[in-house]
Amino acid sequence: MPDVNRILVIGGGFSGLTTAVDAAETGAEVIVIEKNPYLGGRVAQLNKYFPKLCPPICGLEINFRRIKTNPNITFYTMAEVESIAGGPGDYNVTVKVNPRHVNDNCVACDACAQACPAERPNEYNFGMDKTKAAFLPFNQAFPQKYVIDSAHCKGDCGKVCKEACKYNAIDLDMKPETINLNVSSVVVATGWNPYDANKLDILGFGSIKNVITNMMMERLASPTGPTAGKIVRPSDGKPVQNIAFVQCAGSRDENHLPFCSYVCCLASLKQTTYIREQNPESKATIFYIDIRTPGRWNEKFYSKVKEDPNVSFIKGKVASIAQDEGSDDVVVTAEDMMTGNKVKMKFDMVVLATGMEPSGAAKKISGVNYNENGFALPNLGIHSAGCSKNPMDVARSAQDATGAAMKAISTAKLAGQGR
Amino acid sequence: MPEQIMTQPITQIISPDLKFVKDIIASGGESLKKCYQCSTCTVVCNVTPDDKPFPRKEMMYAQWGMKDKLISNPDIWLCHQCSDCTAYCPRGAKPGEVLGAIRKMAIANYSVPGALAKMVGNSKYLLMLFAVPIVIFFAIIASLGNLSLSSIPRGEDGGIVYSKFIPVPAIDTVFIAAATFAAISFVLGIKKYWADMSAGISVQGNLMGSIKATITEILAHKRFEKCNVTKDRKTAHLLVFYAFAGLAITTTWAIVYLYGFHYDSPYPLYDPLKLLGNASALALLYGITLVTGNRLKNAEKAGKGSYFDWLFIAVIYAIVVTGILSELLRLANIAILAYPTYFAHLVFVFFLFAYAPFSKMAHMVYRATAMVFARHTKRD
Repeated sequence: MPDVNRILVIGGGFSGLTTAVDAAETGAEVIVIEKNPYLGGRVAQLNKYFPKLCPPICGLEINFRRIKTNPNITFYTMAEVESIAGGPGDYNVTVKVNPRHVNDNCVACDACAQACPAERPNEYNFGMDKTKAAFLPFNQAFPQKYVIDSAHCKGDCGKVCKEACKYNAIDLDMKPETINLNVSSVVVATGWNPYDANKLDILGFGSIKNVITNMMMERLASPTGPTAGKIVRPSDGKPVQNIAFVQCAGSRDENHLPFCSYVCCLASLKQTTYIREQNPESKATIFYIDIRTPGRWNEKFYSKVKEDPNVSFIKGKVASIAQDEGSDDVVVTAEDMMTGNKVKMKFDMVVLATGMEPSGAAKKISGVNYNENGFALPNLGIHSAGCSKNPMDVARSAQDATGAAMKAISTAKLAGQGR
Repeated sequence: MPEQIMTQPITQIISPDLKFVKDIIASGGESLKKCYQCSTCTVVCNVTPDDKPFPRKEMMYAQWGMKDKLISNPDIWLCHQCSDCTAYCPRGAKPGEVLGAIRKMAIANYSVPGALAKMVGNSKYLLMLFAVPIVIFFAIIASLGNLSLSSIPRGEDGGIVYSKFIPVPAIDTVFIAAATFAAISFVLGIKKYWADMSAGISVQGNLMGSIKATITEILAHKRFEKCNVTKDRKTAHLLVFYAFAGLAITTTWAIVYLYGFHYDSPYPLYDPLKLLGNASALALLYGITLVTGNRLKNAEKAGKGSYFDWLFIAVIYAIVVTGILSELLRLANIAILAYPTYFAHLVFVFFLFAYAPFSKMAHMVYRATAMVFARHTKRD
């Protein structure tokens, strides 16, 4: 049993970071395990986020600084928890750390990337562009360290990158490592994945040009995205004048995600503002079953968006999307329930408001309990926070994560008292 | 937008018919209440008109127990239960099954006498319904002293001759009575249905043209081609449909032989009448097997079907199996099995004919009528 109150936080997204800094600032020792090469999770991929519609880095930065200055926090990136055994006060955790092939000497000078001959699809931008196989995940990534993607850096590639580095920061011989940790409690904050839009066969994602997901829209609108923030459609780079948002794309649907993902209505409302601010002539149409904006602030935001005459709302779920004949436009079919007629409407681009699938749906950590949808359930000294537990927005995730920090702290205390 | 509704004056006070809701649920629409009005169904449906499409509005009417809006609505019959809606329904509300249940209730509503429809739709009364033909045919056999199978006269070659077991005129009398009863019931039902459909709508123009176009469409089974999930239903239904047509021709032909030419059955296997009859029987067997196979195969996506559906399928199966067996057993000269099988065959045929206006068989008449009406009123 550890002498100190040591807490393992799985996931370095907004929830995990909040739990980590909150717990660490009470004196607990915290270890954060993050799968990506950077911290910040999904929030780091957003263009703007609620409630203040600020760019994500303004919220993440403060947490990064709290981490940097707090000796109680250790974090591992490119690491995944393989199993958890034991009980409250005494958990044994196995963690696999994948090789970054870049050590702490890295000053993020970009020389390796400039020299690197190989490319890889950029999953940070949902595959809409490519990076070199030696890359910084994004320009404000924390830690500011490059990564060599060995799966895409084959043959001479590694050597070329290494030779370009003046700081001896590249270590091609790094191997995956397994580390064992002993902790008193665990907080699962593994977050969510966008629901796989390829599974929505009637919505044409992947086969129909200019059908994208809401998370792709975040990247398209972001100044750090593949188009430097210009909202243009993928097929031909045409500025988007007329956009449709398809709500509940795979959510509230027992064939896909049976639950409401809570954030998609707000996300689409927010994204209408991206396009409306960028292009005064543009028009946006939201197809919905119900607009769900719970809470006074959210409801107010909905009212504000509704005041824009160029944003229309059609009550009726889109259940058919086709390519326009002879153009890259997209034809959307829905029943406008207010008139009771089927409508076919043409758009430059269509955004599928896909929901949040908890990461536990795709990958379960041995030792963690999950419900039938993959949401992590609390189990003695294993707590859960944020979207791994329930779909929620950033503000609620922060509140939830603070609650999880409290629980994690008390687990060790209670276990120490033999309770 | 919600405000728009709020500002519209309330023009209609809805009084939900709760019994109607319960009846739909009991008739195979048990998933009705799961609908949350998202309208996926109307969009994936390929057979609905774009103007006021179904089945979303029907699901709403059904949830509110708005019987009048459903029973006389031609849309419930324009639905061919492709089940695309059911497969894509995000809530498992199975609109296809719910509309099937509503159609059953529409049949019960219009058929005369209505009480008989309630019996056909409820498994409790199954034995009672079968008792009618059993008693009738049993009485005929008993009156001829044919209860002892060995005493039934044989043909010149010593073979089994069913007309010596139950004379054809006796059968014809029973079936003409049954068919007349069914026809009257259908006429009364359709008359009322047409009147209800056309209430408040001016129906003018070339009705014959609409009838002709509808018949042409039915003969080609065009509409089934629009189904996705249950694409394979076209072949199955087409086979059953034309097999019945073939058997109807066979029956008429036999009447001509018997009463026109005084040519008695059994007819030799090479007789064109016999060839047509046997080919139709095999087509029916194959067709109804396909129907069953498709239903089982698609059950997960399209729903398992109701008692009403399966009773109809079972009766057709029973008719075709007992019919083929009757012929084979007669040819094999196995009297002990042949006569009871033939008896059973007559019972099942009676069941199909006499109860046609109340069973799923009635879909043929109501759907055709609704299709004519929809075409005539430019709905479809």
